[in-house]
Amino acid sequence: MLVNIIDVGLGNISSIEHWAKNCQHSPKRITNASQLTNDPIIIPGVASAGEYMDRLSGLKLDKEIIRRCQSGQKIIGICLGFQIMTNYSEEDSGVRCLGLLNGTTKYIRDKKTHNGWEDFKIDTREVKHDVFFPKKVTKKVDGRVYFNHELTVELEEDVYTHILSSGIASYAFKNNIFGVQFHPEKSQQTGVDLLNLLI
Amino acid sequence: MSFRIGATVLIDRNGRAIQSYSFKVKRILGCIKYVLSFLDAYKVDEIHLIIPLKGRSNRASKVLLELKDIPISTPLSVGGGVDSNSLIEITRDPYFERLIFNSAIFDNNELIEQAILKMGHQAMIASIPFILEKDLIKIYNSKMNKFIDVTENFWENLSLMFNEIILLDADAEGSKKGFNFEVFRFVNFPMDRILISGGLTKLDINKAKKMKLAGASLDNITLHSEFSIKELR
Repeated sequence: MLVNIIDVGLGNISSIEHWAKNCQHSPKRITNASQLTNDPIIIPGVASAGEYMDRLSGLKLDKEIIRRCQSGQKIIGICLGFQIMTNYSEEDSGVRCLGLLNGTTKYIRDKKTHNGWEDFKIDTREVKHDVFFPKKVTKKVDGRVYFNHELTVELEEDVYTHILSSGIASYAFKNNIFGVQFHPEKSQQTGVDLLNLLI
Repeated sequence: MSFRIGATVLIDRNGRAIQSYSFKVKRILGCIKYVLSFLDAYKVDEIHLIIPLKGRSNRASKVLLELKDIPISTPLSVGGGVDSNSLIEITRDPYFERLIFNSAIFDNNELIEQAILKMGHQAMIASIPFILEKDLIKIYNSKMNKFIDVTENFWENLSLMFNEIILLDADAEGSKKGFNFEVFRFVNFPMDRILISGGLTKLDINKAKKMKLAGASLDNITLHSEFSIKELR
């Protein structure tokens, strides 16, 4: 399947491309709104919210992503990509974000960072919320995933989410929206299994 | 969060992986593409790449670009003389999640602040190769190419600027003679943000876990010894 990767000149595009190819998908770099197709959209991570939102807005990609999301197109946000799915981020002195998920992105308390690996488990048969998983033979992912961040998402709506013991939201899924705080593209086999589960 | 088992790989200007022993002897190990692919297959938790980036020579720049073509799914850190030019190159498409600094720690706060702005505080790692001599710690400054004395301010500055440090036992590098834990008498940095490297044995790794360190970065032994990363973890 083709996957749209948002490329505003920021973010770890190469890693996302490798990840998509590892899962037998065809990545397409999207540098303006007219290039988007109806296939899943991935918003990458590794950048700062202020600069990222500025560039999205400059290319009119922010409005187009919101429009496509509202019409049911699958959106996957990774790390920063997840954070900018919220209404607002504390990064760069405060940034208005996409508002796809009702919540805010805040610095981890005590200015700490979160680096390393955590366990990850999901079984789509056990998900009670409305999450549009594709119909697949495999319905479970069980492994570990890699985190590297200093801001965290705090949700203000009831969505399917997993909060780590440290209080950090590992992921949040709502209908066609899939936000993950970790880096599936750098989570070895678990990352491959997850993408295969999502698209 | 689990204890991390990483691997350190040195790369020369021609893009070949090299082995280093006690900071003195170096020999060519082979093609970096294969080395990284092996480490990815071994499922190490992270890879620390040390490349001669300083001055952004065409070759170093080419090595950075070539690395982006290697399809691995293991977290990567890069260092080896990051300057403002190579920082631009790295952050253009950050294939590397984190940055490793050495000489800038001593005299270039401006570069470190620039890096924090571009990559975030979580991306900042300081490489601290050390030797213990006459009951004193000496730390390697790559710009001066020598081990130097440091003051208490050094550690304070380090905690402000860096998220994690890698303590590298330079005497033990490339060997299996054991990491010198005496270094902790001199180190003033949060324990859960320290990785150790150089001469590591399984006993050392167990000790590091008990001390609740962040992890360990294996050097050459990763590529030569038949042992399970999962078991070490």
